[in-house]
Amino acid sequence: MKPNELNEILSAYDAKLDRILSLNSASIQKINLQKTKKKTQTVLIFRSIEVVTFSALLLFLGSYIANHWFSTHLAVSGGILFVFTLIALIGSIGQVTLLNQIDYSKPVVEIRKKIERVNAHVLLFVKLLFLSGPVWWAYSLVAIDVFLDTDLYVHLDPDFVQRYLIINGVLIFPLLWFLNKLSFKNLHLKWVRTIISWVTGTKTQQALTSLKQIEEFEN
Amino acid sequence: MWKAQDNHLRTKMQTTKKERFIGLIDEHKKIIYKIVNSYCANPADRKDLEQEIIIQLWDAFDKYNPEFKYSTWMYRIALNTAISYYRKEKKWHTKTDSFDNATIFHLRTEETEHREQMNKKVEMLQHFIQSLNELNKALMLLYLEEKSHSEIAEILGISKTNVATKIGRIKLKLKNEFLKNLNYETE
Repeated sequence: MKPNELNEILSAYDAKLDRILSLNSASIQKINLQKTKKKTQTVLIFRSIEVVTFSALLLFLGSYIANHWFSTHLAVSGGILFVFTLIALIGSIGQVTLLNQIDYSKPVVEIRKKIERVNAHVLLFVKLLFLSGPVWWAYSLVAIDVFLDTDLYVHLDPDFVQRYLIINGVLIFPLLWFLNKLSFKNLHLKWVRTIISWVTGTKTQQALTSLKQIEEFEN
Repeated sequence: MWKAQDNHLRTKMQTTKKERFIGLIDEHKKIIYKIVNSYCANPADRKDLEQEIIIQLWDAFDKYNPEFKYSTWMYRIALNTAISYYRKEKKWHTKTDSFDNATIFHLRTEETEHREQMNKKVEMLQHFIQSLNELNKALMLLYLEEKSHSEIAEILGISKTNVATKIGRIKLKLKNEFLKNLNYETE
């Protein structure tokens, strides 16, 4: 291919388009441009509901901790739930911010990244779910206390509690390593791809693949 | 009385705005046409994408920043819309109440005739562009439009050096593709 050949091909195509392409303005007139409804608004509403829900939950947990300050096990359990809810709330606030920043007249790469981050949002909840594995007792203790007004902890065998805490404490570090690996940056690893696809579904995996492509495109 | 005059004025302003908008689309119709054809192989999808781009452009029309050229602004919106559409992110799509089946862009000759007239090399080039991933496709389209490296960098949001490197790589790939196809034809 000669250096100018590409340009020649294109100018020929351009000239041809100039001759044959016209705008069907009647079609544009018919589009009800004033009444278009952005579906991004729907996503924004869902994320805003998340923010309100998590905020309410945080307030509730805050008052729960304050009310059970002298029952250490309940206050600690409430504190653990508080931290998880706070992470989820921060994630959801981040999403609302991203959604408000999506403006198609901004540079392509910037907007693509924001959109894909919104689409990959599920991964945060999956990670939180995994991370809460070793501390699931916190959920049980608080839920049983709130809904059944029963303190489960006093009925547990102290030896069992000790063994349970040690095993789960040891589990936290490999779990943190594992969750850190579950990122678009590690999609080249087959096991990461498989797990992400299995736990989050195709849509999230597509979003993560795109984030990887964007990163490669930027470098 | 005042209300009626107010409504009349508002309608008139809207009409003028729409006319200006259509004039702008007409002036830059090739941008949208080429993007739509590069991102959608299916004619039905093309119609939807045409509409989608027009709607996004209209939504952003009031917020147009004169700091940029109209073409830069249009490229950004059209490419962002096309990539979103291409990725089938239905939730990003706008929704209209009704729209007939007519396309927004009209070819004066019949489509088949146009295809016959089309240079084989142009077809080969279009085929090559369609085979690229969504971001490289955007880059190539801009390059083929003879946009400067700084304008491409501005539209895509990457550095000028990166633009130059990527174009070099894609051109090399394109050259090999052309050679392969031409050799295949002469065999």
